[in-house]
Amino acid sequence: MSNSEYAARRRRLEPLFESARSLLDPGSERGKSARQRLQVSSGLSPEGVEFALQRCLESAPSEAETEALIRATPQARRAHVLLSANVFVAAHRAIAIGLAASEHVQVRASRREPEMAELLLEGAPGAFTLVSELSPQPGDHLWAYGSDETLNAVKQTLPLGVVFHRHGSGFGIAVIGGQPPSDTLSALLAALAEDIALFDQRGCLSPRVLLVDSGPELAHEVALELAAALTKLEQRVPRGRLDAAEAAEITTFCDSASYFGDVYPAGLGFVSSAESSAWLMPPIGRNLHVLPTRNVKASIAKLSHLVTSCAFAGDAELRASLEAALPGARFCRFGELQSPPFDGPVDRRLLAT
Amino acid sequence: MTQNARSDALHLAVQHFAAGDSRHTFAGLALEIAAFQREFSAGFARLVKRRGASLTSVEAIPGVPSDAFRLARVAVHPEAEDSVRFATSGTTGSGHGIHAMRRTDTYRALALSYGKSALLSGAGSRRVVALAPRLDDPPTSSLGYMMAMFMVDFERREAGAERAPERWLIDERGVNVSELERACQLAWDADEELIVLATSFALVSLLDALDGRTLRAPARTTVMQTGGFKGKSREIAPSELRASVARSFGISEARVVSEYGMTELTSQLYEATLPGSALATARPAAPGVYVEPPWLRVVPVDPVSLEAVALGEVGIARIVDLGNVDSAIAVQTQDSVRRVAGGVELLGRAAGAPARGCSLAIEEFLAAHSP
Repeated sequence: MSNSEYAARRRRLEPLFESARSLLDPGSERGKSARQRLQVSSGLSPEGVEFALQRCLESAPSEAETEALIRATPQARRAHVLLSANVFVAAHRAIAIGLAASEHVQVRASRREPEMAELLLEGAPGAFTLVSELSPQPGDHLWAYGSDETLNAVKQTLPLGVVFHRHGSGFGIAVIGGQPPSDTLSALLAALAEDIALFDQRGCLSPRVLLVDSGPELAHEVALELAAALTKLEQRVPRGRLDAAEAAEITTFCDSASYFGDVYPAGLGFVSSAESSAWLMPPIGRNLHVLPTRNVKASIAKLSHLVTSCAFAGDAELRASLEAALPGARFCRFGELQSPPFDGPVDRRLLAT
Repeated sequence: MTQNARSDALHLAVQHFAAGDSRHTFAGLALEIAAFQREFSAGFARLVKRRGASLTSVEAIPGVPSDAFRLARVAVHPEAEDSVRFATSGTTGSGHGIHAMRRTDTYRALALSYGKSALLSGAGSRRVVALAPRLDDPPTSSLGYMMAMFMVDFERREAGAERAPERWLIDERGVNVSELERACQLAWDADEELIVLATSFALVSLLDALDGRTLRAPARTTVMQTGGFKGKSREIAPSELRASVARSFGISEARVVSEYGMTELTSQLYEATLPGSALATARPAAPGVYVEPPWLRVVPVDPVSLEAVALGEVGIARIVDLGNVDSAIAVQTQDSVRRVAGGVELLGRAAGAPARGCSLAIEEFLAAHSP
């Protein structure tokens, strides 16, 4: 990539960054409007929206991150971006990737969450075009984010020759290797509670399972302490609303989980644990399963293709083996699952294959 | 009394109840079995505790979610004592679960008793075939196992007769239409009642293969259809499928009898439409209404609170099945149902939380993960 090409791509990003930055001030008119609109579209509590904006909107990515994003993004004559619902800040990164690829960017927002893309466009008029339907042509690139089901349906409609970058269903995990000192454990779990609470766990980076590399006793202790941390956090950042189907899934999950182990209330959510190393997958809504295992790598083998991210606390040897087992998954510290470097798509699984 | 002795006593009591023994009641047996399972199943004990259930009424027995069977073992006895392990086929794309049984005589007694009452319309000789793949050994399909039982019992044959390949009319090439035509002809020639046991998707495959042709089947032909489509064929509305199947066999729609069963259950429900059948005579109900046997009760419940809904309202089915002595006396399904005159209407599977955005949906997890 020539210097001039790089510079052109970099210039296209700046108005978007500025637009995002201008949303952060809750006292500004634009900031107030954003909070009202995002609260309605996301279903998050007002505190949940604020928490997400302050923690996860990449308003000031470093130059190194921005350069990595630009260099990792292929150039395209036209770029199309299909946004998903739920994690509204993801629109920023997705549109940035589109702008890094092309000066002609069309964006289709989710019908359930159209606000963030509109807000970004209002702050960066003309930077991209919002459309109700995408119509990529052969040679164009399409970046699509959403469930596998949605992406499979989208793929069926694409003309031959469209370069399809798909980022589908996934989930985050957390891993504790060995037995950390109790004050360290408390800090880890408080940080993990924040990872869980962000977006009420609706994102593909959101942790759903915590693997504890030990026996069931530590898992039990961890589950109890995490439940307490989530309960405490909920006082500061209340959970938002769930729809009827989500609430029903939580009911079913809690009954299933209680059949196999213990279920601890965690504010409005739950933490489950069991002696068995069998997997349970809690539904979204601030719920987590603590899974004791003596072999983390073997435990994740079957689901490794679905793991987008891993918050890790443990020794270097275990980390290295997990990184090999989870190609493409982002590894980070507890509390950083929802704010990966702004260096490309958050979901890097496709890039690893 | 040991665990197995108590289990055996309960099995016997359920069999006696099903046979009409009035010393037992449905509620009494359900609560006895629930108490037994609470004592010997740590999982069920935890579920009862979590729900704060008193186990003093049938309505208070918490249902073990059907998903639980897909995630781990649901049984009071150890694996070494399993006599059969039936695998669930799961919904589209989902992983399968296991229903382990320590003894099969109760399953046999209940399935045969109610199957006869719903599917047999006369006393003469019979021929039974299945639009299903050949039974595997050991059997892993509860439906296949039941079909095999029907073949032997309805035809009054010796065990082993169900192994005859001409009885199982689906293979890797699809429906074996010529063998079905042969069965029709043999039944016609011998003036036999013909009973065709089939899944819905097998019937769709048959209709496709027939391409509008009509089989020369005896007038006393009964088709038992069961199950959904599970992504294995195109889907057809139940009323259309019933009409098309009846037309293809040249029989009345009343002779196409739907069955509802799940691997997680021991017992089945049927439509009570077959003219001359014991069930239709004693408890007639409109097509589309599934009639419970005396040893099974469907309780429509609210999907969030799991409390019983008002009569006539739609809920998800909690099914209390006395046959599930050693697994889960009550199974919480995700099937939407409504209680109507004579039984329950099945309204399809309640939608799970739809996949929204890129967070993994529970169904996607189950698809990727099986025991």
